[in-house]
Amino acid sequence: MTTAAASWVLSGTVAAACLGLSLATGAARRVVPAAAAVLVPLGLSLLVLHGLFFPEGRTVLAEWGPARITAEGLQFAVQRILQLAAVVLALLLFSFSVSVPDLVAALSTRGVQGRFAFVLASTLTLLPAIAGRARRIREAQESRGLVITRGLLSRVAAFRLQAVPLVLSLIEDAGTRAAALEARGLGNPGPRTTYREVPDSTAQRAVRAVLVVAALAALILRVVQSGA
Amino acid sequence: MASAGRAVPLDSPVLAAGIRNFTFHDGHAPALHDLAVSVAPGSFTAILGASGSGKSTLGRLLSGWLAPGGHGRLAGFLELAGTRLDFDGGTGDPRIDPAQWGRQVGFVPQDPAGVLSTVRATVAEELAFGLENTGMDRAGMKAAVERTAALLGLAGQLDQDPARLSGGQLRRLAIGCAIIPGPPVLVMDEPFASLDAAGANELAVLVRDLLKQGTAVVVLSQAVDPLLLEAGTWLVLADGTLTSGGPPAAPRSGSGLLPPAIRRLDLETASSPAPRPSSRRAVELPAGPAALELRRVSFGYPEVPERRRRRRRQEPGPDRRAMVLQDINLSVHPGEIVAVTGPNGAGKSTLLRHFNGLLRPTAGTVLVRGGDIAGAPVGKTAASVGLLFQQPRDQLFERTVLREVGFGLDRLFSPAMAADYAAAALEAVGLAGTAQEHPAELPASAQRLLALATVLARRPAVLALDEPTVALDGDGLALLDTAVRSAAEAGAAVVLVTHELGYARAAAHRILALDGGRLVPA
Repeated sequence: MTTAAASWVLSGTVAAACLGLSLATGAARRVVPAAAAVLVPLGLSLLVLHGLFFPEGRTVLAEWGPARITAEGLQFAVQRILQLAAVVLALLLFSFSVSVPDLVAALSTRGVQGRFAFVLASTLTLLPAIAGRARRIREAQESRGLVITRGLLSRVAAFRLQAVPLVLSLIEDAGTRAAALEARGLGNPGPRTTYREVPDSTAQRAVRAVLVVAALAALILRVVQSGA
Repeated sequence: MASAGRAVPLDSPVLAAGIRNFTFHDGHAPALHDLAVSVAPGSFTAILGASGSGKSTLGRLLSGWLAPGGHGRLAGFLELAGTRLDFDGGTGDPRIDPAQWGRQVGFVPQDPAGVLSTVRATVAEELAFGLENTGMDRAGMKAAVERTAALLGLAGQLDQDPARLSGGQLRRLAIGCAIIPGPPVLVMDEPFASLDAAGANELAVLVRDLLKQGTAVVVLSQAVDPLLLEAGTWLVLADGTLTSGGPPAAPRSGSGLLPPAIRRLDLETASSPAPRPSSRRAVELPAGPAALELRRVSFGYPEVPERRRRRRRQEPGPDRRAMVLQDINLSVHPGEIVAVTGPNGAGKSTLLRHFNGLLRPTAGTVLVRGGDIAGAPVGKTAASVGLLFQQPRDQLFERTVLREVGFGLDRLFSPAMAADYAAAALEAVGLAGTAQEHPAELPASAQRLLALATVLARRPAVLALDEPTVALDGDGLALLDTAVRSAAEAGAAVVLVTHELGYARAAAHRILALDGGRLVPA
């Protein structure tokens, strides 16, 4: 009952559709490695956990003491991996293909509070900004004799040195930016408009409506089923 | 009340302040005390003060960026468009609404990038951000954006990503963000810092246009830029209070009224064709190998994939790798000071980053003390090459000034020598008295000098300085000059890049210009 649809076919279809879309939009180069980084370790741990120690497992394929591989356990693990893959791919595809300015503009035309829309947008643009700042601090430290080799230990030690100045400079930056945003009226309670025009075709509107109806239908179906 | 602030306007001021005392919550002494400022409609005021005199604090107070009560306690009053707000530092003080205040007083901070919302994709949208928040309709916004862009000289950049603007364009965009709601007053903090001659000229044109339209302009500066001679009033700020004021001629002719720390860029440009004879004489170059040698170095930035997603619609066709440096040959001998000049964005910083391997040449070789540095980690090359970056904030990361200077010295010298060298470097830049302070709390000029001290303390064979004069006041400039000279006399090869031709002429033995990626004698 943790996820709505425990169906191999559905999860597989969604994951495949996400992959197809990411290939079509050219986001696959970024989506696939990121998804692999999340899914491979998680998937392996699911396989080990459920494959070896699935209490309801009856069909035993192999056995070592308390650990036994059961067909049911493997099946359950694969099912979970597929569900996860569907969710992770959908989320990654969204975050790698969404145009942040379009999203913010669309949100504020639909009456979402300015502050909230801004927080959402800046969360999506934060990572590249932090990476750039961290790089500059690292360059300054290297220029003063910090030797960073390819080794993991050396990198961890270097990161420890960069963390404090990085956080301090981000806080300092945030102070200036906050004052600027307040002066430019980000906190205004009244209605706001957008300069950017987000194209919204009839087809897009229709797809959105269908998706909402489908989601509602799935939910109702599920409630009715579990009630029965 | 302040006896020094005698600026009495003819008509009622559009913005005024009387500050008996302003103290930051974590400060011991007041940052500002006993001063009065009054800005008449359409007037041009210059507030001059050395680094650390309280300029930025005053500017932020005037423009509502530093709300009394929030960060510090104000005793005194602020007056905006005829409404006077009295503060006594207690809980009953009025609250300032920064958005309302911002519509009356535009403010441009020292770092123009700080005002950008960072979530807008184009210059036009960034300009419109403040209007969107007031709920203006799209047609009105379009008209306002076009009008402002024409005034700023940014009409051609409206569809560009704000992150890709040059320093001068970014400064003008920040001004645009402040003036687009049409405030009667514009306050700018150090607007000329880090602008090259072309950028400063464009800014001067913009300021004149704003004045013509009736906007009152207040410029806070630690240097007398030629434009400030056109100001109606000069106010001189020192140690948190006004020490003199009046029309520009008064402090100029009356000797001693302008503190020596305030740089006279207007006089420097006038006298710059006559370089100091002592500095221009050729040095006797030692016969040994060059401390730094670049052989046929070329460099182009690889295509950046990060922003490809956003750019895709705007940049059709393959992005040809543009060469920033082309076929550069340069050798600098111990004791020699070489200046590299060029406009903003010419690739001067890119050139310096090749000296210690932060950037690797696409073609060609870099030799430090006769050895090829290809393949050597930057940290190793750094033992021979000291690099001063443009942004001190990225370079300072320790808890105290002393620790900052001492960073990495233990790897080069014995502990006793390291301590000696750190102390000597702090002494050389005049920061010996602040050894236990936090670097981030120093004024901008002192931060630059501290960054310079961190480089000097390492006693490098090659000293590479990126725009060392930026953010320095007159005192700082004198310290820099002495430090660079004594380093060269001690046998360091110095390369400094600067857009200030006057400084380059005064300081260097040899001047080169970076033009279209090529290094040519200037």
